[in-house]
Amino acid sequence: MALLDVQDLVVRFRTHDGTIHAVNGVSFELEAGETLGLVGESGCGKSVTNLAIMRLLPKPAGRIEGGRVLFDGLDVLAMSESEVRDLRGKEIAMIFQDPMTSLNPVLTIEEQIVETIRAHRRMSMADARKQTIQLLEMVGIPGPEDRLKSFPHQFSGGMRQRVMIAMALALEPKLLVADEPTTALDVTIQAQVLDLLGRLTTEGGTALIIITHDLGVVAGMTQRINVMYAGFIVETAPTDELFARPSHPYTVGLLHSIPKVTEREDEELIPIEGRPPDMREAPVGCPFAARCAWRLEQCWTENPVLRPLDAGARLVTTGPKATHRIACHNPPTADEAHEGRPLRAGFRAAPAPAGRIDELAMAVEAGT
Amino acid sequence: MTAAVPGRPAPRAAEADRPLLKVDGLKVHFEIKEGIIFERYVGSVRAVDGISFELRRGETFGLVGESGCGKSTTGRAIVRIYRPTAGRIEFDGIDIANLEGAALRHMRRRVQMIFQDPYASLDPRMTAGSIIAEPLDIHDIGSKADRQDRIRELLPLVGLDAAYGVRYPHEFSGGQRQRIGVARALALDPDLIVADEPISALDVSIQAQILNLLQRLQGRLGLTYLFIAHDLAVIRHISDRIAVMYLGRLVEIASSRDLNTRPLHPYSVALLSAVPIPDPSIERRRQRIILRGDVPSPAAPPSGCRFHTRCWLRERLGNPERCSTEEPDLLELETGHAVACHFAADVAGSVEQALVTGQRVPVAATPAGADESGEVLAPADATVEPVAVVEPGAPVVPETTAPAE
Repeated sequence: MALLDVQDLVVRFRTHDGTIHAVNGVSFELEAGETLGLVGESGCGKSVTNLAIMRLLPKPAGRIEGGRVLFDGLDVLAMSESEVRDLRGKEIAMIFQDPMTSLNPVLTIEEQIVETIRAHRRMSMADARKQTIQLLEMVGIPGPEDRLKSFPHQFSGGMRQRVMIAMALALEPKLLVADEPTTALDVTIQAQVLDLLGRLTTEGGTALIIITHDLGVVAGMTQRINVMYAGFIVETAPTDELFARPSHPYTVGLLHSIPKVTEREDEELIPIEGRPPDMREAPVGCPFAARCAWRLEQCWTENPVLRPLDAGARLVTTGPKATHRIACHNPPTADEAHEGRPLRAGFRAAPAPAGRIDELAMAVEAGT
Repeated sequence: MTAAVPGRPAPRAAEADRPLLKVDGLKVHFEIKEGIIFERYVGSVRAVDGISFELRRGETFGLVGESGCGKSTTGRAIVRIYRPTAGRIEFDGIDIANLEGAALRHMRRRVQMIFQDPYASLDPRMTAGSIIAEPLDIHDIGSKADRQDRIRELLPLVGLDAAYGVRYPHEFSGGQRQRIGVARALALDPDLIVADEPISALDVSIQAQILNLLQRLQGRLGLTYLFIAHDLAVIRHISDRIAVMYLGRLVEIASSRDLNTRPLHPYSVALLSAVPIPDPSIERRRQRIILRGDVPSPAAPPSGCRFHTRCWLRERLGNPERCSTEEPDLLELETGHAVACHFAADVAGSVEQALVTGQRVPVAATPAGADESGEVLAPADATVEPVAVVEPGAPVVPETTAPAE
């Protein structure tokens, strides 16, 4: 049994502007101790997926409208509020992008960590304090005893994120979810925090989900990656496999639109034309069709399901041997993925049906 | 493309050789004051503290560094949003550091800026067309009809439909807004564009659109860019030459290629090593140099070399006193490659330099200076095999001797 089992998760937000189709049927599993990356751009549903799993969606706008979430065999969506509270912190912990918003500014670090520990464990003040010092030491905060009485604003961004990590790991959770943990940090500080996060979760056998837009971060940190677009998982594979054989046009596009430090000097970036779809519209067809150079006519009407890249492959959903799966009617070949564009003679992306905006054609016309 | 703004005469031969921009000893300090009624001067943030560099015509010069290093302040001083505390900013032969009034306005026609946040930098109550034409209004260029022509000319140039001029900023996506920002910067047909983090507020898939647009425009219009960013991968991609900034000082200037293959300042090496690479095989092979602690405050920068408090090389060399007492000058050690480090010669050919640049390193060799706290990812190993220098035939780095100040 997987540690985390998410099936057909559907999340929508009711707003004055209409319904936001944030997550549109996401399924994935995670084994104990595994490291998974959720990659995608802003608005792709990666953070919402995670908030839904933790039952932290903003109410009343955010609703889980379908699906199932099992953690350690327990149905998270059926739990009472107090049961969920017990689960969070003890079994599942979280780290957010901006540590300042998740630390209480009027409490000292000691109060916050001791409180976390004592809320879930029977422990004397003195013992909890001792453990707090150990935790701060573990995350590399110099002179932890002296820093106990400090308030969050007295720490730098990198140090705050360390305090968050200490707090998250205080109760030895089985799963740690880090949502853009280093996006707000400078690159040298990012290196410190990623290194720490990787080391501590590996040593402690904690499963880790990293949510990020940065393919570089997941490349070094994860065993497996889910690529998300417009509320769907469009590609999933073990990390090495995904980078060696990117197969969804969106993944291919992402890899070609970021400059690599190792790139050849004359390497040209190939941008993904257009922009992400308006999530207020119910998805019709493949969500990436409007921006996809490989699209066929059916892509406009039929949403492809996630299926193994190699037809007939046995389906494995977790671990290093997980099956490489994509949701695409017309996947790029290896050569095409390498070049970043379709190479088939005479192939042209199917034109948009009347009434649909064709971002790709617009970009070509504008000569950009 | 024909501009509504009359074209400039072609530069004479002597002018063509002269750098477009020459920054010499630029300092921008901000005063810190205390007290509400009686303000007292208690110190200053030395955001930019004596930097010099040149921009050649038609090149892209990248300025990279972490937040608070002074890179944006430098950009803003060059377009004269800030008045420099000291130093010269020579634009096309004229010192603009202290220009005022009409002369300053005139200079600004030739130096334009692209801002980071495409949401904050466009007035929500103005149409795209009036935003783009605003510089023409301010400088009183052309008739109303000329300006409309110019708008219709600029929109397609930045990849937007010419009919979009009547729309308001909220009707555009982030990437499209940044295109409007680019069009506004181009309206006056400037020579130099200062782009301050022009893509960092955009989604990954959109960033490449803007980078490609900027490159294409440069080729077409002969623009010179000062490109300011924290992202070394982006800077490296777009720049011909790069300056690395730390705490108000430049620590290294090199061609994009040299910085990537033979960084000579310990900070540049660490910065390169910290950039995550979207390739798991490289990520696993290479080792990060994890710098200790945070960037010190620019209000009280460390004595001597400003990087000495976090320097991995200084530690390895047994903390030489010189680093904390004597500020290293930015010296040209190789042609076109200047470094401000007393011990740059020790960086050249070091294991760290090789690891960062992704070259193969003898298996036995691991970075020295690793300690038990795991600050360096590699296991500590005292025996460091010197690694063969990157390219055969590369000039040998001479021992650096910085003259005392």
